Amino acid sequence: MVNIIMTEENEKKDAKEEKIEVFPFIKGETIDLVAENSKWVELICKWNNDPDVRRYSRNTWPQTIEEIKKWSEPSPRDQMKEFIDLTIYHKADKRPIGLIGFGHIDWVGRKANIFAMIGESEYWGKGIVGEASKLVIEYGFNELNFNKIYAGIYSPNERSLRAAEKLGFVKEGIFKEEQYVDGQYHDVHKFALFKKDWIKSKEKK
Amino acid sequence: MIEYQVAVFIRGETIDLVPLNSEHINLYAKWENKPNVRIYARNIIPKTVEDMKKLLEPSKDNYKTEINFEVWHKKDKKPLGFGEVANINWYLQMGWLGLIIGESEYWGQKIGEEVTRLMVEYAFNELNLFKIYAGITSANIGSWQCAEKNGFTREAVFKKDAYVNGKYFDVFIYTLFKEDWLKIKK
Repeated sequence: MVNIIMTEENEKKDAKEEKIEVFPFIKGETIDLVAENSKWVELICKWNNDPDVRRYSRNTWPQTIEEIKKWSEPSPRDQMKEFIDLTIYHKADKRPIGLIGFGHIDWVGRKANIFAMIGESEYWGKGIVGEASKLVIEYGFNELNFNKIYAGIYSPNERSLRAAEKLGFVKEGIFKEEQYVDGQYHDVHKFALFKKDWIKSKEKK
Repeated sequence: MIEYQVAVFIRGETIDLVPLNSEHINLYAKWENKPNVRIYARNIIPKTVEDMKKLLEPSKDNYKTEINFEVWHKKDKKPLGFGEVANINWYLQMGWLGLIIGESEYWGQKIGEEVTRLMVEYAFNELNLFKIYAGITSANIGSWQCAEKNGFTREAVFKKDAYVNGKYFDVFIYTLFKEDWLKIKK
């Protein structure tokens, strides 16, 4: 009896997951960048709390579902967004695998901090952040009209350091012992990409 | 007028642009309702002191869509009117200029021209806007001269877009681009 109920519940759960409609905002090859969906808050909660993931995204506090829900609350009309989030959606596997977007948006100075996170670790090392970053950089320069996109990456995050350089980011400086992670202070490398340089590098290709 | 510390925000020659002052709220209401002023500003609804107070309510937004100044006469030490950069679109970096010189005895002294010059400079060099608009009725010759002296050009005419004293008037849409303004400044 118990088993049957469990199965039914699982079926219901599966059906519910199937039903989530995805709204691609920017189309890529392996992945699409899609609008956030409130049905994914539990998933995002899992990612943000995952020890392996949060080590790199430097989340020091446990995050509750309620806190995450607050982030995706619609902002009042006419209020400028100070961050823009997109969900990275794996096209072939039909599942959300991470987040990417801009934070600290300065609409006067036309600059923003780019962030990316792959919450499902089996998708690490597959160039997904590279693809998603290219898409979101293009969006930042060509649609949001940013002048500068910057990122801060802490020294043990070698994969991201390499990815930033590959994307054309230039190191602007190193903030010494800026982050405290796993019992140690780490340097943070500040990277920046300017629109004019990005246009030039695109023209070369 | 009581002497008080004027918090200058933008320094001009004849006038300074200063923040709105809640002690001058009655003056603001007077200007907005004054027949010879409101006819150019196309204010057809009476404005109450409470309406004016709304302008002074602190907003929670980091990005204001409307920025207001009081125009302060330096020598005479009195407020003359106000200016605004309104309907700011931060995505597109555009905004509309508005200006009222409420004390009509100061008309014809090129004060509007100076206020416009200072607001344009502010909009381009501090707000990083890319394009500035001003909508002026065809009858308001003083204002279009003021706009043209500051480099604005007439980009469009909205036919019969204002109704003043029983007649329809065209509204001229003046615009100024940052790149053109930089060239003129040189």
